[in-house]
Amino acid sequence: MAATAMEHDGGGGAEVVTPGELLGASSSLAAGRGAYADGHSVRASVTGRRRILPPTPGSSDQRSTVEVVGHKAHGAVPQPGSVVIARVTKVMARMASADIMCVDSKAVKEKFTGMIRQQDVRATEIDKVDMYQSYRPGDIVRALVLSLGDARAYYLSTAKNELGVVSAQSIAGGTLVPTSWTEMQCELTGQIEQRKVAKVE
Amino acid sequence: MESKKPLRSAFVDDYVVPGDVVLDLADMTNQTIKLGAGLRQDCDTIQVTSAGRLRLSKPNKYWVENSQKRYIPSVEDTVLGIVVDTKPDNFLVDIKGPSVAFLPVLSFEGGTRRNIPKFEIGTLIYARVVKANSIMNPELSCMDAIGKAAEFGQLKNGYTFETSTGLARMLLSSPTCPLLEALGKKLSFEIAVGLNGRVWVNAPSPSNVILVSEAIKQSESFNRIQQRSMVEKLLAKLA
Repeated sequence: MAATAMEHDGGGGAEVVTPGELLGASSSLAAGRGAYADGHSVRASVTGRRRILPPTPGSSDQRSTVEVVGHKAHGAVPQPGSVVIARVTKVMARMASADIMCVDSKAVKEKFTGMIRQQDVRATEIDKVDMYQSYRPGDIVRALVLSLGDARAYYLSTAKNELGVVSAQSIAGGTLVPTSWTEMQCELTGQIEQRKVAKVE
Repeated sequence: MESKKPLRSAFVDDYVVPGDVVLDLADMTNQTIKLGAGLRQDCDTIQVTSAGRLRLSKPNKYWVENSQKRYIPSVEDTVLGIVVDTKPDNFLVDIKGPSVAFLPVLSFEGGTRRNIPKFEIGTLIYARVVKANSIMNPELSCMDAIGKAAEFGQLKNGYTFETSTGLARMLLSSPTCPLLEALGKKLSFEIAVGLNGRVWVNAPSPSNVILVSEAIKQSESFNRIQQRSMVEKLLAKLA
């Protein structure tokens, strides 16, 4: 019975574990990510694949570490200070909402919402910012995570030269090409549109 | 003044429908044309997006003049709105547009946090559109550009009705349209017209209010002569 169950496992080698499943004894294994120590045993706390890491050299604890990987909680999660790529979903008078797609060049596995407030759009003259001339729905922006924000969204900032709109579409449907840090030009019609543009090296 | 005469569209003052190409930019070089409402640039051609009459304002501004029941907010329009909700920072005002408009509670002459006006749901407001674009809710103000109240604010009593945007523009045209001029000679009333297709009429006697409102509603497609003759007939019946 056990042999056939292993064959169906997909040949990666690592086996799938579920929360609560026994991974080993705490005398021989230390609990890593996705695992916890429960008395004399180490059990999994999330669903994923079991992985053993060698013990860190030079530490007093010579046990291998077991961890459970592959779960979406271990995908990229925005942290304060990380640079994210987000798509703007809604633009309002004092803020813009965006869906975070990548964190530090790693794609996220679940949906995170970010919010760019009027005072975080740029570094100069922050009270005269016009959100309509900075972002439009559908723009791809590079932003910095300021903080975990409130229950609904992370707080993002684009107040640096290298942050801002990276890619956008014009009203006519063509791609916008940056011409300065405030303007982008449509390649089909030549119309200029205003955005807060990121300086891409 | 200019070495090249600007290419003029052959359709100026004609009726156009969506899809008509009114100007071909391939023949023009180094000239700027300004596009107003109802026109769109599609690579090298200018196309119409809403049905109406093509107008040209010298030297180079084109737009399509049309009349609809819907109102598309545009900046610097004076509109009549009805309050639908109050929030801590804004009043939510319906101006017959695609989305509800925001009227900041401080956008009144001498407005501070201490003397915020108390508008109930259903209050009629005469206001000016300050910000309007396709993605955000429009923003209104009850002050003019220098900060004075200038007739903006709540309109009390009277009777409100809805018209098309074309009729509202006709009522606001200057010199005064013959309809209002003829009515004003015989009847006493006051009137406020919103470019969003809402009109408010107030008069000391209810019969005046009804007369003026019905006369306006009937004159949807009348030209100047028809307006004058309709009013004359109406007033003759009263005498």
